[in-house]
Amino acid sequence: MTNVKVYTTPTCSSCKKTKEFLNENNVKFEEVNVAKDQNAVQEMLQKSGQMGVPVTDIDGQIIIGFDKLKLKKLLNIGG
Amino acid sequence: MYDVIIIGAGVTGLAAGMYAGRLNLKTLVLGATSGTEQPIGGVITLTETVENYPGFIKLSGSELAENLQKHAEDYKDKVTVEEGKAITVERHDERGCFVVKTDEKQYDAKSIIFATGTKWRKLPMKGAKEFESRGVHYCALCDGPLYKDKVVVVVGGSDTAAKEALFLAEYAKKVYIIYRGEQIRPEPINAKRISENKKIIVVTKTNIVEIMGDKLVNKIQLDNKHEGKDVLEVDAIFGAIGSTPLSELAKSLGVKTNEKGEIPINHKDSTTNVKGIFAAGDVTDKDFKQAITGVAEGVVAAYSAYAYVNENEFVCTFYDKEYAESKESVTK
Repeated sequence: MTNVKVYTTPTCSSCKKTKEFLNENNVKFEEVNVAKDQNAVQEMLQKSGQMGVPVTDIDGQIIIGFDKLKLKKLLNIGG
Repeated sequence: MYDVIIIGAGVTGLAAGMYAGRLNLKTLVLGATSGTEQPIGGVITLTETVENYPGFIKLSGSELAENLQKHAEDYKDKVTVEEGKAITVERHDERGCFVVKTDEKQYDAKSIIFATGTKWRKLPMKGAKEFESRGVHYCALCDGPLYKDKVVVVVGGSDTAAKEALFLAEYAKKVYIIYRGEQIRPEPINAKRISENKKIIVVTKTNIVEIMGDKLVNKIQLDNKHEGKDVLEVDAIFGAIGSTPLSELAKSLGVKTNEKGEIPINHKDSTTNVKGIFAAGDVTDKDFKQAITGVAEGVVAAYSAYAYVNENEFVCTFYDKEYAESKESVTK
Protein backbone atom coordinates (compact mmCIF):
# COMPACT_ATOMS: atom_id res chain seq x y z
CA MET A 1 0.00 0.00 0.00
CA THR A 2 1.28 3.46 -0.87
CA ASN A 3 2.14 5.71 2.05
CA VAL A 4 1.23 9.29 1.38
CA LYS A 5 2.02 12.13 3.76
CA VAL A 6 1.23 15.77 3.04
CA TYR A 7 2.86 18.60 4.99
CA THR A 8 0.57 21.61 5.02
CA THR A 9 -0.31 24.88 6.67
CA PRO A 10 -3.96 25.79 7.24
CA THR A 11 -3.89 28.93 5.09
CA CYS A 12 -2.08 27.65 2.02
CA SER A 13 -4.30 27.30 -1.05
CA SER A 14 -1.92 24.92 -2.86
CA CYS A 15 -2.14 22.66 0.18
CA LYS A 16 -5.92 22.70 -0.14
CA LYS A 17 -5.68 21.83 -3.85
CA THR A 18 -3.35 18.92 -3.09
CA LYS A 19 -5.74 17.50 -0.51
CA GLU A 20 -8.73 17.98 -2.80
CA PHE A 21 -6.90 16.16 -5.57
CA LEU A 22 -6.00 13.24 -3.32
CA ASN A 23 -9.55 12.99 -1.98
CA GLU A 24 -11.07 13.16 -5.47
CA ASN A 25 -8.84 10.24 -6.46
CA ASN A 26 -9.58 8.25 -3.30
CA VAL A 27 -5.97 8.33 -2.15
CA LYS A 28 -5.60 7.87 1.61
CA PHE A 29 -3.08 10.25 3.11
CA GLU A 30 -1.81 11.56 6.41
CA GLU A 31 -1.90 15.31 6.77
CA VAL A 32 0.75 16.98 8.92
CA ASN A 33 0.02 20.54 9.95
CA VAL A 34 3.49 22.06 10.18
CA ALA A 35 2.09 25.26 11.66
CA LYS A 36 1.42 23.34 14.85
CA ASP A 37 4.36 20.98 14.97
CA GLN A 38 7.96 22.20 14.96
CA ASN A 39 9.29 18.63 14.78
CA ALA A 40 7.30 18.16 11.61
CA VAL A 41 8.88 21.31 10.16
CA GLN A 42 12.30 19.74 10.65
CA GLU A 43 11.11 16.48 9.15
CA MET A 44 9.74 18.31 6.12
CA LEU A 45 12.96 20.30 5.78
CA GLN A 46 15.02 17.13 5.91
CA LYS A 47 12.92 15.41 3.27
CA SER A 48 12.53 18.31 0.86
CA GLY A 49 15.52 20.53 1.62
CA GLN A 50 13.30 23.58 1.79
CA MET A 51 10.61 25.38 3.75
CA GLY A 52 7.76 25.81 1.26
CA VAL A 53 4.44 23.99 1.55
CA PRO A 54 2.84 21.76 0.48
CA VAL A 55 5.31 18.92 0.49
CA THR A 56 3.93 15.52 -0.45
CA ASP A 57 5.84 12.35 0.43
CA ILE A 58 4.75 9.36 -1.63
CA ASP A 59 6.68 6.37 -0.35
CA GLY A 60 9.75 8.52 0.03
CA GLN A 61 9.38 10.37 -3.25
CA ILE A 62 8.95 14.07 -2.67
CA ILE A 63 6.79 16.60 -4.49
CA ILE A 64 7.13 20.28 -3.61
CA GLY A 65 4.08 22.43 -4.32
CA PHE A 66 0.86 21.33 -5.96
CA ASP A 67 2.05 19.46 -9.03
CA LYS A 68 -0.86 17.56 -10.55
CA LEU A 69 1.19 15.83 -13.23
CA LYS A 70 3.77 14.53 -10.79
CA LEU A 71 1.09 13.42 -8.35
CA LYS A 72 -0.69 11.51 -11.12
CA LYS A 73 2.56 9.86 -12.20
CA LEU A 74 3.68 8.80 -8.75
CA LEU A 75 0.23 7.60 -7.74
CA ASN A 76 -0.42 5.86 -11.06
CA ILE A 77 -3.52 7.90 -11.74
CA GLY A 78 -4.51 7.88 -15.40
CA GLY A 79 -6.08 10.61 -17.53
CA MET B 1 -14.60 28.79 -32.47
CA TYR B 2 -14.99 30.88 -29.32
CA ASP B 3 -16.47 34.34 -29.46
CA VAL B 4 -13.95 35.41 -26.85
CA ILE B 5 -10.96 33.87 -25.14
CA ILE B 6 -10.02 35.47 -21.85
CA ILE B 7 -6.37 34.91 -21.05
CA GLY B 8 -6.10 34.97 -17.28
CA ALA B 9 -8.43 33.40 -14.72
CA GLY B 10 -7.94 35.65 -11.76
CA VAL B 11 -10.85 37.69 -10.42
CA THR B 12 -10.79 39.92 -13.51
CA GLY B 13 -10.80 37.07 -16.04
CA LEU B 14 -13.46 35.13 -14.15
CA ALA B 15 -15.73 38.19 -13.89
CA ALA B 16 -15.26 38.90 -17.59
CA GLY B 17 -16.05 35.24 -18.29
CA MET B 18 -19.26 35.37 -16.30
CA TYR B 19 -20.47 38.47 -18.08
CA ALA B 20 -19.47 37.22 -21.51
CA GLY B 21 -21.49 34.05 -20.86
CA ARG B 22 -24.39 36.15 -19.76
CA LEU B 23 -24.17 38.05 -23.03
CA ASN B 24 -24.41 34.72 -24.84
CA LEU B 25 -20.80 34.67 -26.00
CA LYS B 26 -19.11 31.29 -26.33
CA THR B 27 -16.31 31.94 -23.87
CA LEU B 28 -13.09 30.31 -22.76
CA VAL B 29 -11.28 31.53 -19.65
CA LEU B 30 -7.73 30.21 -19.53
CA GLY B 31 -5.77 30.37 -16.30
CA ALA B 32 -2.12 29.70 -15.49
CA THR B 33 0.16 30.40 -12.55
CA SER B 34 3.37 32.37 -12.60
CA GLY B 35 4.54 30.83 -9.34
CA THR B 36 2.69 30.77 -6.06
CA GLU B 37 -0.87 31.76 -6.93
CA GLN B 38 -3.58 29.37 -8.10
CA PRO B 39 -4.03 29.16 -11.90
CA ILE B 40 -7.78 29.54 -11.46
CA GLY B 41 -8.30 32.31 -8.97
CA GLY B 42 -5.06 34.22 -9.48
CA VAL B 43 -3.18 36.36 -6.97
CA ILE B 44 -6.23 37.00 -4.78
CA THR B 45 -5.77 33.41 -3.61
CA LEU B 46 -2.61 34.60 -1.83
CA THR B 47 -4.59 37.04 0.31
CA GLU B 48 -5.99 35.58 3.50
CA THR B 49 -8.51 38.27 4.25
CA VAL B 50 -10.27 40.52 1.76
CA GLU B 51 -12.18 43.33 3.42
CA ASN B 52 -12.45 45.79 0.57
CA TYR B 53 -14.58 43.94 -1.97
CA PRO B 54 -17.94 45.74 -1.82
CA GLY B 55 -20.77 43.56 -0.63
CA PHE B 56 -18.55 41.31 1.46
CA ILE B 57 -17.42 42.63 4.83
CA LYS B 58 -14.76 39.96 5.14
CA LEU B 59 -13.90 36.85 3.18
CA SER B 60 -10.79 34.97 2.13
CA GLY B 61 -9.18 35.57 -1.24
CA SER B 62 -9.79 31.94 -2.16
CA GLU B 63 -13.48 32.24 -1.30
CA LEU B 64 -13.85 35.31 -3.47
CA ALA B 65 -12.14 33.56 -6.38
CA GLU B 66 -14.29 30.45 -5.92
CA ASN B 67 -17.47 32.55 -5.92
CA LEU B 68 -16.44 34.21 -9.16
CA GLN B 69 -15.49 30.89 -10.74
CA LYS B 70 -18.82 29.33 -9.73
CA HIS B 71 -20.70 32.28 -11.15
CA ALA B 72 -18.83 32.07 -14.47
CA GLU B 73 -19.39 28.33 -14.68
CA ASP B 74 -23.08 28.79 -13.92
CA TYR B 75 -23.34 29.73 -17.61
CA LYS B 76 -22.22 26.21 -18.37
CA ASP B 77 -23.50 26.14 -21.94
CA LYS B 78 -21.44 29.17 -22.79
CA VAL B 79 -18.46 29.43 -20.45
CA THR B 80 -15.52 27.07 -20.03
CA VAL B 81 -12.93 27.81 -17.35
CA GLU B 82 -9.77 25.82 -17.88
CA GLU B 83 -6.22 25.58 -16.69
CA GLY B 84 -3.81 26.29 -19.49
CA LYS B 85 -0.86 28.56 -20.14
CA ALA B 86 -1.23 30.49 -23.40
CA ILE B 87 2.16 30.26 -25.07
CA THR B 88 1.39 32.00 -28.33
CA VAL B 89 -1.48 34.07 -29.65
CA GLU B 90 -1.54 34.80 -33.38
CA ARG B 91 -3.72 36.62 -35.81
CA HIS B 92 -3.55 36.42 -39.54
CA ASP B 93 -4.99 39.74 -40.63
CA GLU B 94 -7.22 42.59 -39.46
CA ARG B 95 -10.40 40.66 -40.19
CA GLY B 96 -8.94 37.38 -39.06
CA CYS B 97 -9.49 35.44 -35.92
CA PHE B 98 -7.07 34.60 -33.19
CA VAL B 99 -5.36 31.29 -32.52
CA VAL B 100 -4.31 30.67 -28.95
CA LYS B 101 -1.90 27.80 -28.34
CA THR B 102 -0.98 26.21 -25.05
CA ASP B 103 1.50 23.34 -24.87
CA GLU B 104 -1.36 20.86 -25.17
CA LYS B 105 -4.16 22.49 -27.12
CA GLN B 106 -5.14 25.08 -29.69
CA TYR B 107 -8.18 27.33 -29.54
CA ASP B 108 -9.71 29.77 -32.03
CA ALA B 109 -11.51 32.95 -31.12
CA LYS B 110 -13.01 36.07 -32.64
CA SER B 111 -11.76 38.32 -29.84
CA ILE B 112 -9.32 38.28 -26.93
CA ILE B 113 -9.37 39.78 -23.48
CA PHE B 114 -6.02 39.99 -21.71
CA ALA B 115 -6.57 39.65 -17.98
CA THR B 116 -3.10 38.31 -17.38
CA GLY B 117 -2.39 40.37 -14.29
CA THR B 118 1.08 40.68 -12.85
CA LYS B 119 3.68 38.53 -11.23
CA TRP B 120 5.43 39.27 -7.98
CA ARG B 121 8.80 40.88 -8.33
CA LYS B 122 11.58 38.77 -6.84
CA LEU B 123 13.93 40.24 -4.26
CA PRO B 124 17.09 41.48 -5.95
CA MET B 125 19.70 41.40 -3.22
CA LYS B 126 22.55 38.94 -2.84
CA GLY B 127 21.33 35.64 -1.40
CA ALA B 128 17.69 36.10 -2.37
CA LYS B 129 17.79 33.50 -5.13
CA GLU B 130 20.10 31.13 -3.29
CA PHE B 131 17.82 31.01 -0.28
CA GLU B 132 14.50 30.87 -2.10
CA SER B 133 12.22 28.51 -0.13
CA ARG B 134 14.97 28.16 2.44
CA GLY B 135 13.98 31.28 4.29
CA VAL B 136 13.13 33.57 1.37
CA HIS B 137 9.45 33.40 0.51
CA TYR B 138 6.83 35.26 -1.49
CA CYS B 139 3.64 33.94 0.04
CA ALA B 140 3.07 34.73 3.71
CA LEU B 141 -0.24 32.92 3.59
CA CYS B 142 1.40 29.70 2.43
CA ASP B 143 4.65 29.66 4.38
CA GLY B 144 4.22 32.19 7.19
CA PRO B 145 2.78 29.66 9.67
CA LEU B 146 6.05 27.70 9.48
CA TYR B 147 7.76 30.48 11.39
CA LYS B 148 5.93 30.28 14.68
CA ASP B 149 7.80 32.18 17.40
CA LYS B 150 10.54 33.15 14.95
CA VAL B 151 11.82 36.49 13.68
CA VAL B 152 10.72 37.36 10.16
CA VAL B 153 11.03 40.26 7.76
CA VAL B 154 8.69 41.72 5.17
CA VAL B 155 10.42 43.75 2.48
CA GLY B 156 8.20 46.46 1.02
CA GLY B 157 6.13 49.48 1.91
CA SER B 158 2.77 48.94 0.25
CA ASP B 159 -0.56 47.95 1.73
CA THR B 160 0.21 44.40 0.57
CA ALA B 161 3.44 44.43 2.59
CA ALA B 162 1.51 45.72 5.60
CA LYS B 163 -1.11 42.97 5.30
CA GLU B 164 1.60 40.33 4.97
CA ALA B 165 3.23 41.66 8.15
CA LEU B 166 -0.06 41.62 10.04
CA PHE B 167 -0.67 38.03 9.01
CA LEU B 168 2.86 36.96 9.93
CA ALA B 169 2.53 38.62 13.34
CA GLU B 170 -0.12 36.04 14.22
CA TYR B 171 2.63 33.43 14.21
CA ALA B 172 6.04 35.07 14.52
CA LYS B 173 7.69 36.46 17.61
CA LYS B 174 8.79 39.60 15.77
CA VAL B 175 8.12 41.03 12.32
CA TYR B 176 10.30 43.69 10.77
CA ILE B 177 8.90 45.68 7.85
CA ILE B 178 11.95 46.90 5.98
CA TYR B 179 11.28 49.58 3.40
CA ARG B 180 13.65 51.72 1.33
CA GLY B 181 11.34 54.77 1.29
CA GLU B 182 10.60 57.44 3.86
CA GLN B 183 7.29 56.03 5.02
CA ILE B 184 5.30 52.88 4.45
CA ARG B 185 1.92 53.55 2.82
CA PRO B 186 -0.71 51.07 3.94
CA GLU B 187 -4.43 51.84 3.90
CA PRO B 188 -5.36 53.81 7.04
CA ILE B 189 -6.98 50.81 8.71
CA ASN B 190 -3.85 48.70 8.27
CA ALA B 191 -1.59 51.57 9.33
CA LYS B 192 -3.54 51.69 12.59
CA ARG B 193 -3.30 47.91 13.06
CA ILE B 194 0.44 48.01 12.50
CA SER B 195 1.00 50.85 14.95
CA GLU B 196 -0.98 48.93 17.59
CA ASN B 197 0.84 45.63 17.04
CA LYS B 198 3.81 45.37 19.39
CA LYS B 199 5.36 42.55 17.38
CA ILE B 200 5.76 44.66 14.25
CA ILE B 201 8.75 46.97 13.87
CA VAL B 202 8.87 49.32 10.89
CA VAL B 203 12.33 50.15 9.57
CA THR B 204 12.38 52.78 6.82
CA LYS B 205 15.04 54.31 4.56
CA THR B 206 16.80 50.96 4.69
CA ASN B 207 17.61 48.17 2.27
CA ILE B 208 18.73 44.62 2.80
CA VAL B 209 22.00 44.23 0.93
CA GLU B 210 22.60 40.57 1.62
CA ILE B 211 20.71 37.55 2.87
CA MET B 212 22.91 35.03 4.63
CA GLY B 213 22.63 31.64 6.23
CA ASP B 214 23.64 28.05 6.22
CA LYS B 215 21.01 25.47 5.29
CA LEU B 216 18.46 28.15 6.03
CA VAL B 217 18.51 31.91 6.29
CA ASN B 218 19.82 33.16 9.62
CA LYS B 219 20.74 36.81 9.11
CA ILE B 220 20.54 39.86 6.89
CA GLN B 221 22.93 42.72 6.24
CA LEU B 222 21.36 46.18 6.10
CA ASP B 223 22.68 49.33 4.47
CA ASN B 224 21.69 51.41 7.50
CA LYS B 225 21.95 50.67 11.19
CA HIS B 226 18.84 49.78 13.09
CA GLU B 227 19.19 50.29 16.83
CA GLY B 228 22.94 50.34 16.42
CA LYS B 229 23.16 47.15 14.36
CA ASP B 230 23.43 46.60 10.62
CA VAL B 231 23.22 42.81 10.83
CA LEU B 232 19.94 41.37 12.05
CA GLU B 233 19.38 37.77 13.02
CA VAL B 234 16.25 36.65 11.27
CA ASP B 235 14.66 33.36 10.24
CA ALA B 236 12.77 34.36 7.11
CA ILE B 237 12.24 37.14 4.62
CA PHE B 238 8.99 37.66 2.75
CA GLY B 239 9.19 39.73 -0.42
CA ALA B 240 6.37 42.22 -1.10
CA ILE B 241 8.08 44.69 -3.44
CA GLY B 242 5.45 45.03 -6.10
CA SER B 243 4.86 43.24 -9.34
CA THR B 244 5.54 43.20 -13.06
CA PRO B 245 2.65 43.25 -15.59
CA LEU B 246 2.39 40.10 -17.69
CA SER B 247 2.04 41.76 -21.07
CA GLU B 248 4.46 39.89 -23.33
CA LEU B 249 1.79 37.91 -25.14
CA ALA B 250 -0.24 41.04 -25.78
CA LYS B 251 2.86 42.80 -27.10
CA SER B 252 3.42 39.98 -29.56
CA LEU B 253 0.11 40.96 -31.17
CA GLY B 254 1.08 44.59 -31.50
CA VAL B 255 -0.66 45.75 -28.32
CA LYS B 256 1.10 48.85 -27.01
CA THR B 257 2.52 48.84 -23.53
CA ASN B 258 3.83 51.75 -21.46
CA GLU B 259 7.22 52.18 -19.78
CA LYS B 260 6.10 50.00 -16.87
CA GLY B 261 4.99 47.19 -19.20
CA GLU B 262 1.30 47.88 -18.50
CA ILE B 263 -1.28 47.80 -21.28
CA PRO B 264 -2.86 51.26 -21.69
CA ILE B 265 -6.57 50.90 -22.27
CA ASN B 266 -9.42 53.23 -22.99
CA HIS B 267 -10.94 53.21 -19.55
CA LYS B 268 -14.42 53.78 -21.03
CA ASP B 269 -14.52 50.46 -22.85
CA SER B 270 -11.36 48.45 -22.00
CA THR B 271 -10.17 48.59 -25.63
CA THR B 272 -6.49 48.50 -26.55
CA ASN B 273 -4.85 49.93 -29.65
CA VAL B 274 -5.61 46.68 -31.53
CA LYS B 275 -9.10 45.98 -32.82
CA GLY B 276 -10.61 42.89 -31.26
CA ILE B 277 -8.21 42.88 -28.31
CA PHE B 278 -9.31 44.14 -24.91
CA ALA B 279 -7.55 44.24 -21.57
CA ALA B 280 -8.60 44.50 -17.97
CA GLY B 281 -7.28 44.25 -14.44
CA ASP B 282 -3.78 44.58 -13.00
CA VAL B 283 -2.10 44.26 -16.41
CA THR B 284 -3.59 47.63 -17.45
CA ASP B 285 -2.40 51.16 -16.75
CA LYS B 286 -4.75 52.28 -14.02
CA ASP B 287 -3.28 53.59 -10.74
CA PHE B 288 -5.64 52.02 -8.29
CA LYS B 289 -5.41 48.26 -8.67
CA GLN B 290 -7.77 46.25 -6.56
CA ALA B 291 -9.92 43.16 -7.10
CA ILE B 292 -13.06 45.24 -7.49
CA THR B 293 -11.58 47.66 -10.04
CA GLY B 294 -10.23 44.72 -12.07
CA VAL B 295 -13.61 43.00 -11.96
CA ALA B 296 -15.33 46.16 -13.17
CA GLU B 297 -12.91 46.50 -16.07
CA GLY B 298 -13.30 42.81 -16.89
CA VAL B 299 -17.06 43.17 -17.18
CA VAL B 300 -16.65 46.26 -19.39
CA ALA B 301 -14.20 44.30 -21.56
CA ALA B 302 -16.73 41.49 -21.89
CA TYR B 303 -19.36 43.97 -23.03
CA SER B 304 -16.96 45.51 -25.55
CA ALA B 305 -16.07 42.05 -26.87
CA TYR B 306 -19.78 41.35 -27.25
CA ALA B 307 -20.29 44.57 -29.22
CA TYR B 308 -17.24 43.82 -31.36
CA VAL B 309 -18.26 40.24 -32.12
CA ASN B 310 -21.76 41.29 -33.08
CA GLU B 311 -20.73 44.20 -35.23
CA ASN B 312 -18.12 42.49 -37.31
CA GLU B 313 -18.12 39.86 -40.03
CA PHE B 314 -15.49 37.27 -39.33
CA VAL B 315 -13.65 35.71 -42.19
CA CYS B 316 -10.94 33.58 -40.75
CA THR B 317 -7.93 33.04 -42.93
CA PHE B 318 -7.17 29.67 -41.49
CA TYR B 319 -9.27 26.55 -41.58
CA ASP B 320 -12.42 27.02 -39.57
CA LYS B 321 -13.66 23.48 -39.01
CA GLU B 322 -17.02 24.50 -37.53
CA TYR B 323 -17.75 26.88 -40.37
CA ALA B 324 -16.77 24.29 -42.99
CA GLU B 325 -18.91 21.62 -41.32
CA SER B 326 -21.88 23.94 -41.06
CA LYS B 327 -21.56 24.79 -44.76
CA GLU B 328 -21.31 21.07 -45.59
CA SER B 329 -24.43 20.23 -43.65
CA VAL B 330 -26.34 23.01 -45.41
CA THR B 331 -25.35 21.85 -48.88
CA LYS B 332 -26.07 18.16 -48.18
